[in-house]
Amino acid sequence: MDYPEPIAKLIDSYTKLPGIGSKTATRLAFYTLGMDEKDVLDFSKSLVSAKKDLTFCSVCGNITENSINPCVICRDATRDQSTVFVVENSRDVMAMENTRDYHGLYHILNGVISPSAGTGPEDINLPSLIRRLSEHQEIDEVIVGTNVTAEGEATAMYLARLLKPAGIKVTRLAHGLAVGSDIDYADQLTLIKAVQGRTEL
Amino acid sequence: MELQSLRLVNYRNYTDLTLNFSDGVNVFLGENAQGKTNLLESIYVLALARSHRTSSDKDLIRWQEKEATISGRVKKNISDTPLSLHFSNKGKKARVNHLEQSKLSQYIGQLNVILFAPEDLELVKGAPSVRRRFIDMEFGQMNPLYLYNTTQYRRILKERNAYLKRLQMKQTTDTIFLDVLTEQLVDIGSQVLLARQTFLERLEVAAQPIHAEISNKRETLTLRYQTSIDFEKGTDLATIKAVFEQTLKKQQTREIMQGSTLVGPHRDDIQFIVNDNDVAVFGSQGQQRTTALAIKLAEIDLMQQETGEYPILLLDDVLSELDANRQTHLLLAIQDKVQTFITAPTLSDVARQLIHAPKVFHVQQGEIVLEEQVE
Ligand SMILES: Nc1ncnc2c1ncn2[C@@H]1O[C@H](COP(=O)(O)OP(=O)(O)OP(=O)(O)O)[C@@H](O)[C@H]1O
Ligand SMILES: [Mg+2]
Ligand SMILES: [Zn+2]
Repeated sequence: MDYPEPIAKLIDSYTKLPGIGSKTATRLAFYTLGMDEKDVLDFSKSLVSAKKDLTFCSVCGNITENSINPCVICRDATRDQSTVFVVENSRDVMAMENTRDYHGLYHILNGVISPSAGTGPEDINLPSLIRRLSEHQEIDEVIVGTNVTAEGEATAMYLARLLKPAGIKVTRLAHGLAVGSDIDYADQLTLIKAVQGRTEL
Repeated sequence: MELQSLRLVNYRNYTDLTLNFSDGVNVFLGENAQGKTNLLESIYVLALARSHRTSSDKDLIRWQEKEATISGRVKKNISDTPLSLHFSNKGKKARVNHLEQSKLSQYIGQLNVILFAPEDLELVKGAPSVRRRFIDMEFGQMNPLYLYNTTQYRRILKERNAYLKRLQMKQTTDTIFLDVLTEQLVDIGSQVLLARQTFLERLEVAAQPIHAEISNKRETLTLRYQTSIDFEKGTDLATIKAVFEQTLKKQQTREIMQGSTLVGPHRDDIQFIVNDNDVAVFGSQGQQRTTALAIKLAEIDLMQQETGEYPILLLDDVLSELDANRQTHLLLAIQDKVQTFITAPTLSDVARQLIHAPKVFHVQQGEIVLEEQVE
């Protein structure tokens, strides 16, 4: 027997989310049926609003509300205007902001360069970074915080090659042991990388 | 090390099977298409998290089912470790001691296996890709950094080839990003080159006496690493990097024209030389088999040196492909030190005489119909 159309459609929508197969989608759909009508309404509104009321910041590429563009970080004159932290996506900005230890600006690439996936240097939010740097001479350091994958590293190296001739200092995040971890629990590759990146005391 | 037990759930033609093994020789007997190779394959997969027969994990799941599990207990000198692999449409999950491993390179190496199948007799005269795969699989089991580097190399190569295609099609003219990919390729590729060279030198040392023995001291085997990057034995990493980079620079125009990376470890090969002749070209079929067998047996010793434990040996239908002399060498070499799994339709007389107290499993249509401990 087929499910009635409304629930079949809901199951279908859930399966479009990453990591959710048809079994989980069915469970979620039936759970949704049992929820308070108000909660369901709020949920559907949030879904639509997340899509409709958000845009990318015209300066840094971070997600921001339509009515606040440039975003709050770009508008904040108390932040250190000489440093730009380059990350792959907006989630990385949140992670960094939660540390409360960084007070400079950001630039969000919204991806990494990966020719095999059809993404060239001009297909991520990189040309705008170059423009931004030439328009804002006060920026003298770019910290590259792309992921430690082959693609993330390539993107970082590419940035360094473009920016260094312009006299901008380009730095890369260190990788090594997790703080508070025991050496004997670290995986071998992390250990090898940590030894390669060791610093003098 | 020994695999003490194995459980298969919805794996290939097995629904739910649990087996306990002997530390010595285990034999899977049965007619064609009953599931003998499937059993051996499952042990290989448990060790390496991928099959030697298929590149699609989906094939491992029993038809009509959605997930499959292979689990087993591995005994090393003091420890006893449960391993498990779970396959579903979302990918695979590897667990050691019931803990999920985030990186497969952390999982691989817990159980070391060497597989010897009739195709391996092709090691000597098959395509170069067969020999590259052989080094990558065997060395990768012993050295997690090598495994990681070869995976990275393949990824970078894929990106670089894709970017060369863009340049070829004039979709871009930016060679700065090509330089970046070249630097990455050289950095990782040189480590791969050096590791392969070192590994082959050690494999040669281990294989020579075995080869001499099988050929009744009449022949000498040497291994030569043939690489598109020209460097001698004993060259250091920095020099290899410099040579690799220069070689790529020289090829750059051609690479852009062809839209592909023309030199590097992905183009390399191993040459087996017996009494000054390339066995792949000039060797008789018997000489090629002796060489392949010597290499396989040498791997057992090498893995023992590298990890402190003997690997387990999987022999798929290979005994019947060898003559009595080679069967004898093989069986004597493993006796009392290497846990071995053999598949065969029936056992030869040589095998019956030489295998000491095997545990025999009779396989019929995805079930073990009889289990006997031969004394
Ligand atoms: N995913 C799968 N689900 C169910 N059955 C499968 C699956 N994959 C393979 N088989 C079945 O397994 C059988 C092959 O088993 P296997 O290769 O182990 O045979 P074998 O006993 O080694 O035979 P031979 O002596 O010819 O080498 C085939 O009959 C095939 O139909
Ligand atoms: Mg078979
Ligand atoms: Zn902004």
